[in-house]
Amino acid sequence: MIPRTWGRRRPVAVIATGLCSAGAAIAAVALPAALGGAVNGVVSGPGIPWAVLWLCAALTAAEVLLDCAATVVGGTTTAGLAARLRTDALDRVLGTGLRNTEPVPPGDLTTRLTANAPDAAAAPVTAAGAVAAVLLPVGGLAGLLLVDVWTALALLAGFPALLLLLRTFARQTSGASADYQAEQAVLAARLTEALEGAATIRAARTGAREYARVLEPLTALGRHGRRTWEVYGRASARSAVLLPLLTALVVAVAGLRLWAGALDVGGLVAASRYAVLAVGIGSLTGALGSLQRSRAAARRLEPLLDLPPVPHRSLELPPDGPGTLELRGVDVVRDGRYLLRDVAFTVPGGTSVAVVGRSGSGKSVLAAVAGRLMDPDAGTVTLDGVPLDGVDPVRLRHAVSFAFARPVLPGTTVEEAISFGVPRPSPGRVRAAAEAASAGFVALLPRGYATPQAKAPLSGGEYQRLGLARAFAHRGRLMILDDATCGLDTVTERRVHRELDGFAGETTRLAVAHRLSVAAGADQVVWLEDGAVRAMGPHGGLWADPDYRAVFRSPDGDGSGPPDGRGTA
Amino acid sequence: MTVEQRTEAPPLAAPPAARRAERPERDPWAGALGRVLREGRPFLRARRGVVVRLAGWSALEFGQTFLGGYGVARALDDGFLAGRPGVGLLWLLVAVAATLPAGAATRGVFGRLADLVEPFRDGLVRRAVARALGDALEGPGEASSGAVSRVTHQSEIARDGWAGTVLALRSFVFTTAGALAGMAALEPRLLLVVLPPVAVGVALFAATLGPMAARQHAYLTADEAYAGYVGQTASALRDIAATGARNEVSATARDLTLRQARAARQLARWSAVRIGATALCGRVPPVVLLFAAPWLLDHGLTGGALVGALTYLTQALAPAVHALMSVLGTAGGRLVVVLDRFTDPVPPPRPDPVPAARAVPRPSGGGAPRHEAELRGVTFAYGPGARPVVDRLDLRVRRGERVAVVGPSGAGKSTLAGLLAAVVAPDEGRVLWSGRPAASVEAASVRTLLPQRAFVFSASLRDNLRYLRPGATDREIAETVGALGLGALVDRVGGLDAPVAPGHLSRGERQLVALGRAHLSAAPLVLLDEATSGLDPVTEARVEDALADRARTLVVIAHRPGSARRADRVVVMDGTHVVCGTPAELPALSPFYRELTGVPGRWPGTGDR
Repeated sequence: MIPRTWGRRRPVAVIATGLCSAGAAIAAVALPAALGGAVNGVVSGPGIPWAVLWLCAALTAAEVLLDCAATVVGGTTTAGLAARLRTDALDRVLGTGLRNTEPVPPGDLTTRLTANAPDAAAAPVTAAGAVAAVLLPVGGLAGLLLVDVWTALALLAGFPALLLLLRTFARQTSGASADYQAEQAVLAARLTEALEGAATIRAARTGAREYARVLEPLTALGRHGRRTWEVYGRASARSAVLLPLLTALVVAVAGLRLWAGALDVGGLVAASRYAVLAVGIGSLTGALGSLQRSRAAARRLEPLLDLPPVPHRSLELPPDGPGTLELRGVDVVRDGRYLLRDVAFTVPGGTSVAVVGRSGSGKSVLAAVAGRLMDPDAGTVTLDGVPLDGVDPVRLRHAVSFAFARPVLPGTTVEEAISFGVPRPSPGRVRAAAEAASAGFVALLPRGYATPQAKAPLSGGEYQRLGLARAFAHRGRLMILDDATCGLDTVTERRVHRELDGFAGETTRLAVAHRLSVAAGADQVVWLEDGAVRAMGPHGGLWADPDYRAVFRSPDGDGSGPPDGRGTA
Repeated sequence: MTVEQRTEAPPLAAPPAARRAERPERDPWAGALGRVLREGRPFLRARRGVVVRLAGWSALEFGQTFLGGYGVARALDDGFLAGRPGVGLLWLLVAVAATLPAGAATRGVFGRLADLVEPFRDGLVRRAVARALGDALEGPGEASSGAVSRVTHQSEIARDGWAGTVLALRSFVFTTAGALAGMAALEPRLLLVVLPPVAVGVALFAATLGPMAARQHAYLTADEAYAGYVGQTASALRDIAATGARNEVSATARDLTLRQARAARQLARWSAVRIGATALCGRVPPVVLLFAAPWLLDHGLTGGALVGALTYLTQALAPAVHALMSVLGTAGGRLVVVLDRFTDPVPPPRPDPVPAARAVPRPSGGGAPRHEAELRGVTFAYGPGARPVVDRLDLRVRRGERVAVVGPSGAGKSTLAGLLAAVVAPDEGRVLWSGRPAASVEAASVRTLLPQRAFVFSASLRDNLRYLRPGATDREIAETVGALGLGALVDRVGGLDAPVAPGHLSRGERQLVALGRAHLSAAPLVLLDEATSGLDPVTEARVEDALADRARTLVVIAHRPGSARRADRVVVMDGTHVVCGTPAELPALSPFYRELTGVPGRWPGTGDR
């Protein structure tokens, strides 16, 4: 039941942390008895009870030093373990196939790596803390029993009230906080809306009005906020009375026993200290809570650590190959459904092929399989006769480049966004690629190619052209465009395809397209229907088929406008 | 809500300084603390009354602590040890009775705490909203992504941290005072024994506060850098795989996480020092007291007083010191780091100053200028080093005219619309409305500019439609609804007064609402910046016609060639040249226009879109 992330690294340090925490707790439990002994020795005189005084000093020193040691060892162990977990998990994520990471949305993945990994790494330290949290109150109660049974019974009589207090606190807080958080969400939603509508607000000059509108919920927020403090205050007030009451009860019973001669002054001191330790039982719930959180975090992290790497053999593509792409018997199955079924065709090196079909016919899956972003469930894909799954995935990228409909562009500046990937292109090549991709607008940006992306006012169509430029800058023997010009106006799209036509004989091009002009300009067209190749041939030859013509009249084939962009520059 | 993360120092109200990025960061934490403290003082000064009342309620804690130890001492000396159990119980009862008002006091404390914490949070949220709106209104690409997090998450961290600091600090002050006064009452020599280790511990702790918080700062900064990078990476997995940049990404992430781990280790080492300081204040004094006990007993200390002193040290002083030091130590950096993001407040957006001339008079005769809007020699570039998007452009939009602007995206069409609407200020040249400088006229009464992304907010459709003209009558709204064909949308959302969630409307519907707004506004010039991109061609034509009827002058950044064909005049911006003419003249003047609208039949089936 112990999560594997716990002890599998640095077990010595983990055990040392546990021993230090337990040792500190034991010293803390032994200390009240020693204090009591010392008080007795001192009060009854006549000599000075050096032995027990030094015992007190030694126990105090041990408790403090072990506490320090547990903190240092635990803290450094947790830090190291968290770093290892993060690195291992991210490497697994980066090294596995996209199909394995698809079920985890990016936000979830980020949470697992940033928040869950340290939580999981903290498990050994948390467990050590939990041991202390158990040892202290249990030791306190045991000490009380040893000092005097009646004092222990007095405390136990008061326990139900203590437990009740702990429970009501948890319940009441959550009620008031829920209202508070709901009001906060209203405020956040209004701000988000206003930020998205910034262009309108700027034009209408209604900024002051929006400021007031966004902040309107603040009044209610303050009201709910006061209620949370009230609830918290009530709970604190109760514990402010209950805890001194419980210890006073124990002291009173101890006092009576002292009067009866059944207990000495030192016993009373010890009993009062043990009572305080025992009522600290509340911290146990906290310790168990963090332990639970660590376990939950570990369970969320483990699937990432188990991701299998993309398999490959150590084959190399023949140098200076023409880029002949061949698919044979390719099937892609997901959830029992065929996304691609027995797809087979050959694209001669240096020619172009357009992949067309209604939406959902498997065009993007085909593009992903053709450049090994995804492995087929059956069949083979070869480039210049070498199976793609035989080549190291990173080395393969020297030969194959991709452009997407909605590219994500890592890199701080525009220049880094275009040059991102292997091999790093020269600045000159970056600029040439941008020109070829009709991304000349980069020169208009505040700092040209050095403009940080966060400061660049780019529309969806402009991002798409930066993505194209990235593919152009890394052009090898095969280039795959997955609907990568859908956001461009028709004129720009034609210009881009004219540039692509210029690569004839050097680079094989496979373009998924919705627009007629792209299909018409390609050497060959692969027409997909329900995951299978319906027909293949030049556009002119297929055009006679009314079903083929119907592909371009489907809702997503009418070539209508750019995707929902961020407003053009 | 929890009071787990806490620390040091408040914020609020100070002069704006240089932007964060340009700050010298020699000692980042000290700088942050300085900034936060500078803005915190006026906040507290304005709430002196609350602080005094908080202290008043806390004073009851002084009594409770005092009697807690004193009662035990007298119960032993006069009661249990003197063979009078009744007196012993009575003294204990006195000590318990002293805790009863502590219940009421705690509630009083939390009430005043709210007076100190809630306005604090309000101030932070106001600042965050002002900064976010200010940045977003400054220009596209300026909106800070962390704005919403600042409003919700970070303001909460600061709120909880501030509350925890206030609670622990005042508890420490009054508990310590109560314990010291109690010991002084029992036997003044006790203080001679107890105070030195406490003083050394406090000094040691104070000395660690700075370096500790600096480590906290480093740790949080490293953690955020890692989280930011991983967030980007997680949404770019496909592109990383497609570009083969995996090893590079992995190495960068490893560097960032190792930096974070290093900061965490340093933090752990400083925590150990803090534990030592806490021990000097809390755990060492009882031992020292016992070692000194024989001497004290020789000088008249009673057994009960010794037990009472031990009670003060272990039951009052140690927990208060522990609470304060963990609050200040563990979350010290966190509160300051978070608060530092709220320093240098941006003034909230101000209402548009109304120029002397209220509005442009509607033309009554031939005396009025013929041009609704005019650019004279206008040049605009995104930055000093950038090539101008618009270069020495002269453009006149005649009254009553329909003008379409076409060109590839990125050619500067939106910039042109922004210049005409005086939303974007030209680097050179002048913008005139009806012959007057645009700055001297109240913009809202002259023109309405609709961007591509329509702004619909969570409110009724009526409020949304009246956005640009809050005083519109029901009849005017009905006219607009009829003219633009909004009836179906009104019915679908449940009437004009039903609340509308923008997320439940399609892109086209949101654009229709915004277009309705423009129709309802009284401005004679309407500029549509691809504001109909979500509509089908038939609706688009209807909307453009309705707006042209109502507004008189219409400038359309065209999304489809149809808009150009309906226009009286077309401006073609192909990225290098600006050409202007009627739809009939343009094919001869502009190759781009020819390519855009014509050349049918180059490929089979390639027609108009």
